[in-house]
Amino acid sequence: MITISSPMQQDNIKELLSNYKEDDVTFTFSKKEGIKLFFEVTGNPADAVIKAKELIKNTTWGKVLYFQAQVVS
Amino acid sequence: MNTIVNFIEKKFLPVAVVIGSQKHLLALRDAFINLMPLTMAGSFAVLLNALLRDIPNTYLGTGNVITTFPLVSWIISLNGIVWGGTLAVMGIMLSITLGYTIAKSYDVSKVAGAIVSLSAYLMGLPQSASTTTTLTLSDVLPANIADMIQASGATIATADGVSTITVTGSAWGFFNFSGYFGAAGMFTVILFSFISVIIFAKLMKKNITIKLPESVPPAVSRAFSAIIPGVISLYGSAIIYFLLKQSWALGSQPVSDWITEHIQQPLLGISQGYGSVFIIVLLVHLLWFFGLHGTNIMGAVLNSTYGVAQLQNLAAYESGAEIPYKWVSGSFEAFVWPGGAGVTIALIASILIFSKRADYKMVGKLGLGPGLFNINEPIMFGIPVVLNPLLIVPFILAPLATATISYFATIWGLVSPVVISVPWVMPVFLSGFLATAGDWRSLVLTAVNMAVAFAIWVPFIIAANGVDSPSDN
Repeated sequence: MITISSPMQQDNIKELLSNYKEDDVTFTFSKKEGIKLFFEVTGNPADAVIKAKELIKNTTWGKVLYFQAQVVS
Repeated sequence: MNTIVNFIEKKFLPVAVVIGSQKHLLALRDAFINLMPLTMAGSFAVLLNALLRDIPNTYLGTGNVITTFPLVSWIISLNGIVWGGTLAVMGIMLSITLGYTIAKSYDVSKVAGAIVSLSAYLMGLPQSASTTTTLTLSDVLPANIADMIQASGATIATADGVSTITVTGSAWGFFNFSGYFGAAGMFTVILFSFISVIIFAKLMKKNITIKLPESVPPAVSRAFSAIIPGVISLYGSAIIYFLLKQSWALGSQPVSDWITEHIQQPLLGISQGYGSVFIIVLLVHLLWFFGLHGTNIMGAVLNSTYGVAQLQNLAAYESGAEIPYKWVSGSFEAFVWPGGAGVTIALIASILIFSKRADYKMVGKLGLGPGLFNINEPIMFGIPVVLNPLLIVPFILAPLATATISYFATIWGLVSPVVISVPWVMPVFLSGFLATAGDWRSLVLTAVNMAVAFAIWVPFIIAANGVDSPSDN
């Protein structure tokens, strides 16, 4: 499981990651706690964190976001 | 807080997105970032010479045992060589990186963009040098000889029984290296890079190019396709230089000097005011607090003003000239937000000493290591500080306080201005000390800043002891 901590654009982040359907990793939104969004992931969680950051930063709104992505056990 | 967040998402985020993703501002920001290897190498060279030459010369006198030691003197010379290819030519390097990043933003040939940008800058510089020599004779020159010499262009004056000959020689093919190759002409670089490369890029996108058959190798074809846009953009730049030179405003002043005097210096002058520093610190921290990337959004503004001022301070320090600017980009990192935005190193200290919350103490311990190197993401999202109404006041007040103290300490001469670019991960105390080229008073300033920031954070950490975790809100 991974978390994305971002006070802004939470709906966009959920949609972006949930709609990413490639073989390397998939994201399934699990729950929200404050600014933290929890996602169940397939594949290596560390790779999922890297992919999530890449996907978010490649959007126009993601370039200006201050967010954190990390693996949670 | 939700209402405020919704308001910011609806009203402010689109503006932040426009600013933060505007391709020209991004190109400008990236151009400065691409100069980092040169900036750091040059800063390291200047810093090393500060430690090996300037500080010993100051405290031990010139010709002291440290600077005259063979290995040390070799290192000092070596640093001079490094400086000559880095900080001394930052203007030229910026013209290359900026042309590259602008072309990249338009998705056209990046190398061609870099070349066009460099050419557009160089063509506007004075390219001749002149020198005047006066020779005083011991007698009066005979009239026929004086006439011959004057016919060649020299001036002869006779007074008190002696003649003086004054000769002015000039030749084409010289650049004023220190005047135009370094940081002094950066606004001219920025202006003509944008003008020339945007013209070039738009013509390339419109396919106003020479098209070669498919059988021609791609490298050759790419080079040929850039010919027409390159010629037009360079002639466009030349026409602007020509028209500016003809205008009454410039007189005989070179275009670059006019831009430096009438645009660069006034803008950098505005950046030196306390109001500008206050607004920058406030804006950056508000952005961080609401989950927007403060330095990404403000990067282009910070780099093109305070970043240029930093480079000019560096050049002045190296040449022994008066330091032109009191407040530069490195001043923020060294003194305003050591430990990260919000002076979070003071937050960590207050948590470890005063917090009774297990979650805070755990995050504080985890955040201490990175925090010593100004990486505060663990603490910002771990507490969290981001969007935490309990902590917004100290998060904004602490850096405003450190900025105010540091600004006036610098203006009043209590501490030297920042002159050296230091990596942003340099630990607290060391950062300010190195950035001011070894001014011991920076250690005192940093200690005062830490104490004030700590005093601001403590009451809020104590108040948080009796409050539920912000993640429950």
